Amino acid sequence: MSADMFHLGWFGSFIPTTWTTGWDGTDAARWMDGKFYVDKVRTLERACFDFILFEDSSMVSDVYGGSSEATLKRGGWAPKGDPVALAPILARATERIGISVTMSTSFYPPWMLARSVATLDHMSRGRIGWNIVTSSEDLAAKNFGMDALPPHDERYARADEFVDLVTQLWDSWDADALVMDRERGVYVDHTKVRPIDFVGKYYKSRGPLNTLRPPQGRPVLTQAGGSPAGRQFASRYADMVMALPKGVPAMKEYRDDIRMRVAAEGRDPDRTKVMFVVSPILGETHQHALDRKAAKDEAVRQHPEGQLIGWSGSMEIDFSRFDLDKPLPDDVQTNGHQSTLANFRKWANGRTLREACVAYRTESMELIGTPDEVAAQMDEAMQEVGGDGFLIWNQPHNRRYIGEIADGLVPALQKRGLMRTGYGHEHFRDNLLEF
Amino acid sequence: MSARMFHLGWFLGNGFGVQAWNQEWAGTGATDWMMPDQYIDLARSIERGGFDFLMMEDSVQIPNAYQNSSEYYLRTASAAPKQDPAVLAGILSQFTDKVGIVATLTTTFYHPFTVARMISTLDHVSKGRIGWNIVTGSSTYAAKNFGFDMPEHDLRYEMADEFVELACKLWDSWEPDAVLADVENGIYADHTKVHTLDFEGKFYSSRGPLNTTPSPQGRPVFLQAGGSDKGKDLAAKYVEAIIANPPGVEKMKAYREDIRRRAVEHGRDPDSIKVMYLVSPVLGETDAEAEEKLARRERAKESNIEGLLAGRSHLASIDLSQFPLDEPLPDDLISNGHRSSFANFKGDGTQTLRERILAHSATDAVHLCGTPATVAAQMDEIMQEVGGDGFLIVGTPMHRRYVAEITDGLSPALRRRGLIRDGFEHQLLRDNLLAF
Repeated sequence: MSADMFHLGWFGSFIPTTWTTGWDGTDAARWMDGKFYVDKVRTLERACFDFILFEDSSMVSDVYGGSSEATLKRGGWAPKGDPVALAPILARATERIGISVTMSTSFYPPWMLARSVATLDHMSRGRIGWNIVTSSEDLAAKNFGMDALPPHDERYARADEFVDLVTQLWDSWDADALVMDRERGVYVDHTKVRPIDFVGKYYKSRGPLNTLRPPQGRPVLTQAGGSPAGRQFASRYADMVMALPKGVPAMKEYRDDIRMRVAAEGRDPDRTKVMFVVSPILGETHQHALDRKAAKDEAVRQHPEGQLIGWSGSMEIDFSRFDLDKPLPDDVQTNGHQSTLANFRKWANGRTLREACVAYRTESMELIGTPDEVAAQMDEAMQEVGGDGFLIWNQPHNRRYIGEIADGLVPALQKRGLMRTGYGHEHFRDNLLEF
Repeated sequence: MSARMFHLGWFLGNGFGVQAWNQEWAGTGATDWMMPDQYIDLARSIERGGFDFLMMEDSVQIPNAYQNSSEYYLRTASAAPKQDPAVLAGILSQFTDKVGIVATLTTTFYHPFTVARMISTLDHVSKGRIGWNIVTGSSTYAAKNFGFDMPEHDLRYEMADEFVELACKLWDSWEPDAVLADVENGIYADHTKVHTLDFEGKFYSSRGPLNTTPSPQGRPVFLQAGGSDKGKDLAAKYVEAIIANPPGVEKMKAYREDIRRRAVEHGRDPDSIKVMYLVSPVLGETDAEAEEKLARRERAKESNIEGLLAGRSHLASIDLSQFPLDEPLPDDLISNGHRSSFANFKGDGTQTLRERILAHSATDAVHLCGTPATVAAQMDEIMQEVGGDGFLIVGTPMHRRYVAEITDGLSPALRRRGLIRDGFEHQLLRDNLLAF
């Protein structure tokens, strides 16, 4: 017996590739011209990924050590290009794969976002997703002229209204508004294009949108919500929820919770896919994969700063202040990712920071082995959890790793009937909801 | 101290055929090998990775040598099916800017006019980046597809010599300034500068002139794999890059010196011929991991004697299944196919067929194994010893992961040592190949 067919997506950012692994080629110097990403998305389409999802953030973090030095020296969180500018180039190089871009409700006017996403959906012929984030870093807010972000739960209340407004803007054109009647000289039937006169608590917009209705009607909405407010938000809107619970029982609990919430919102739970972030470590033999894992752990033990910079940025806590060989002190607070900090403490459970760095994983579960072994592990997890698939998190971010996933792991999954071997539809959402 | 900068080429040893397809990391190789995508990715990768050119082998038959049957070859997709690399060359030229593209075209199976015209066209559309790998053909079965018996080895080289001579005359049949494109006076070409040849040779004749305009390189870059005396002479006379696989550093050095001597005898500057050695580096994250990979591959060879015999039977056009595995091959056995390569394989008669088939590689002058840094150091040392001029990487197994290991792992390591180019100084393949 094996699991039902599931979905694969790729999760990453528009950032430099690895540049110190020994398998980095020339991409770290040229990633910003987009060609590496063109090759990457073509590879993922060949491997029948449902989509590639671009995370984003808008800052050069200087939390760690009170300076941008550590961030920029390593090239982890910055520099980072705008995925909205990259998306149409990727769309032009591909035919079926979905492309989801992160745009923050805290930093875009709703009208601007609605128009930009609609344009992208047209240019990609219905393959665009909007990954909704509310942003969580005050440092980014300062770049947009704010002193700080609104508190966590208020950000979600605003995001809720934001999505409602944006959806109404997309709906402000009927699907058949474009008539192109040459005899009567009518391009668009104005009776099918309406103002929305939206007046909310946070936003106002008259409308209508000044582009045609997007091919998908509403582009695919993706979201990552860990907190209760985040989960509730996801259950109201999301077609795909990116999830990071740790371990199979927590994955199952998370998915069941989302499905319950989706049903409570009056939606069909099968129309919200819960996908878990993983970073498989593949080897030519089982032992080779274990060796790679051990080498990776040892590298972190020797140089834990990379992980600490990441936590510093995402939790807005300067981890450079703490003793590496002691646990995180109890009195540390954040206004950023609250659930992230709480989960971190619970999970760290007295570990020293150095060992926490080694043991920490963003991904939901560890996958280590030959492609066939990892395919079997994914199969088992999906049987247990119930669905709906995985997001491969690019680590290490280079062509060799992408090739291992696309040309090693994917064929092994396909052989087990766990993954698509082609695309049934043209639109991103139709493919996502195909099974 | 390190070697002087040398050249890299990628040798696509199975041509436009089925590459890795049922091995790990083969991706969609089983179903989309006949599409250009994999080769586009390859060409763009090696262009990034500082290679001078991609060279595509070719053959035009379903092999039948082993056990007098096509079964092994078709069952395992070995050497067949295989598509026309000249068609692929045109496509690749549109997805790359600077890297050279070399197609194999067989003198025995084409008329010189056809080759001259096709190459000229490809050189135009690639903006001067085309090479022609001159082969005479070697397989009995290939010749039968064209309705004749394969001419004897040395005779094929005589024919090839005349073939190339005629092709060159056709490429030269337009004077460089024959095209005026004079819009005002309505003169496109000056017919007094386009000449008939009325070539009458021993094997070929052609009136000429060619009906294309002079291409950016005029003549393509010539490549050839010559091991025999006849082959080496043809190479020394015409070619700019030689595909070589003498086993071991000493023989590599001797081979290169021999070629350079012959070039001088033909009145050429020996530096205008680049001798490039076939290698298949085995790369790993640590030296130990690479060694293990190589050991696994050697073990796999031991359990696939049949595959090795079938491959070698095909190259030699001799059914090696008829000989006992644990005895040396008969002294008087010679191949009318890849003659010198087969003689190298046979050895001096002291080893059994089994020992030879396991020990001898058709595609490896020396073993290169280790991390990218280790292999770069090995290549450096070899080039210091041999004197030049570079390596042809044979993609085995040929899949994208291996390509990435070479272009994103080995290339940067070679660049750190200043051993390969970090960009292209010139537009034309010939200029890049002869730049150092």
